[in-house]
Amino acid sequence: MKIAILGAGPGGYVAAIRAAQLGADVTVIEESEVGGTCLNWGCIPTKTLIASAEALHKVKNAASYGLDVDGTVTPNIEKIVERKNKVVGVQVKGIRGLFKSWGVTLIEGRGVIVNPKKVRVTLKDGSPEDIDADKIIISTGSRPAQIPVFPFDGKRVLSSDHAINPDSIPGSLLIVGAGVIGCEFAFIYKEFGSDVTMVEMMPNAVSTEDAEISQLLERELKKNKIKLLTGTSVEKVDVKEDGVSVRLSNGKDIEAEKILVSIGRSVNSNDIGLEEIGVKKGQRGEVIVNARMETNIDGVYAIGDVVGGVMLAHLASKEGVVAAENAMGGSSEVNYNVVPAAIFTSPEIASVGMREKQASEQGIKYKVGRFQFRALGKAHAMGEIAGLFKIIAEEGSDRILGAHIIGPHASDLIHEIAVAMENGLTTKDIAHTIHAHPTLAEGVMETAEDVHDAAIHSPKK
Amino acid sequence: MYPDDLKYHKEHTWVRVSGNKATVGITFYAQESLGDIVYIETVESDASAEAGTELTQIESTKATSAVISPVSGTVTEFNEELSDAPEIINEDPYEKGWIAVIEITDDSELANLMDAGEYEKYLEEEVKQA
Repeated sequence: MKIAILGAGPGGYVAAIRAAQLGADVTVIEESEVGGTCLNWGCIPTKTLIASAEALHKVKNAASYGLDVDGTVTPNIEKIVERKNKVVGVQVKGIRGLFKSWGVTLIEGRGVIVNPKKVRVTLKDGSPEDIDADKIIISTGSRPAQIPVFPFDGKRVLSSDHAINPDSIPGSLLIVGAGVIGCEFAFIYKEFGSDVTMVEMMPNAVSTEDAEISQLLERELKKNKIKLLTGTSVEKVDVKEDGVSVRLSNGKDIEAEKILVSIGRSVNSNDIGLEEIGVKKGQRGEVIVNARMETNIDGVYAIGDVVGGVMLAHLASKEGVVAAENAMGGSSEVNYNVVPAAIFTSPEIASVGMREKQASEQGIKYKVGRFQFRALGKAHAMGEIAGLFKIIAEEGSDRILGAHIIGPHASDLIHEIAVAMENGLTTKDIAHTIHAHPTLAEGVMETAEDVHDAAIHSPKK
Repeated sequence: MYPDDLKYHKEHTWVRVSGNKATVGITFYAQESLGDIVYIETVESDASAEAGTELTQIESTKATSAVISPVSGTVTEFNEELSDAPEIINEDPYEKGWIAVIEITDDSELANLMDAGEYEKYLEEEVKQA
């Protein structure tokens, strides 16, 4: 079985390895760099910048940990970016090594589907190469969405691709869009010293999260003196020599040295031959697939950001595994009800399953357990007490419908609940499991107890 | 601990009235129950306040709670010093630790508030017994 995969991001490279494990002869076509957006411009670069920002934060607050620090601490942006590139480089090498180990062929160039059995690649030197395949997996990803009236120039008007490679720290930064990407960069740049203002059309920051979580994040933004203007849009941007001048929908003007546009991502589904072979696309260009990741064309699969929906690296990887298994004759499906997601703000946010609003809109009878990080000894020892755990469970069955955490290490803490959900466990199952002390994970146990008003470290209700 | 020149709300806030301006804050009892205060959310000028409802949020090492407004009106001032040093509320809840100034719309509400003696009695008989 010959499988050709378009794109070596977290969807495509994972699909490649799984298909190879199952015995396929796999060719991956990548026009940029293996690891895709996630590894080169997204998840990993931002996390290395955040690690630098957190280290800076700790040093600035050393006194609160009983440390006397002499002298000043200054972010050196050149070295911070150098560290980021080094981390990314190691991971890129890792994927290339895995390809070699599993016998996956990597072809560097731009691939276009000629017919369901053939991909034509334009190699880096401009020459064409045809790849024959029995099955094709499309994993071409997405790119930062632009506002047509003020396109990215990389100097004054930045996308997230630019924001991970700064050549200096702007004195002031205006971020358009207070979603996941905008909020992560807001904390990073604020810590590095920029005066940060965010403008968001929706009534809340991270508006797709549970409402209580959004509210708490907004308070943390305030604590960090990051300005947030909600229910506001940008009407006009004037790029000037020394900065940008922005007209807002509330009639006010804001001046900033740079502007970061983080209003979402557009799918990469054009100019890769989809129209020519008749692959069905939705309104925003997303490739339409079923739960087996099959498009309407026999033998052609699509996974990851290009299928629209929630754009998450790990979901793309799961879809890649499912597509590869199905391409090899298996029968796999993705469970979209249990998809953990993390936002690396300060503190972190993590979620899995339903928001409370969804449960209520669907008329489900549910109970909510809540627990504050500040009730945990470990949080106090760490000096990071702000945060909330929240579990939503179905009344009667006690099964977990969703969970939301904002607080230190939320991104790690959510998985215990994800495992419980994937396996139909109840809040009582979590509550009955001994959790080590002193840990933040005790908060998950306490929250599960709180669903039944039995958290030990909460006052009587 | 409970100055005589102030009026007290049962949700443990105080008010100092001067003309139509009311300076508000939280009581000694409130700050003591909360423990070390680590953050208070800024109240914007021009925000409207309603007696008995949330004026702002306050965080201590133990809890996050609402600060309940003792009077209704329009906020004219917020104590900006609290943004960087919320612990002032613990240190001096009635003077430097004031939270906001509210321009009162309905001064008949003041009659619903307690004086120092009544508040202390209320603490002893109702709050601490509960």
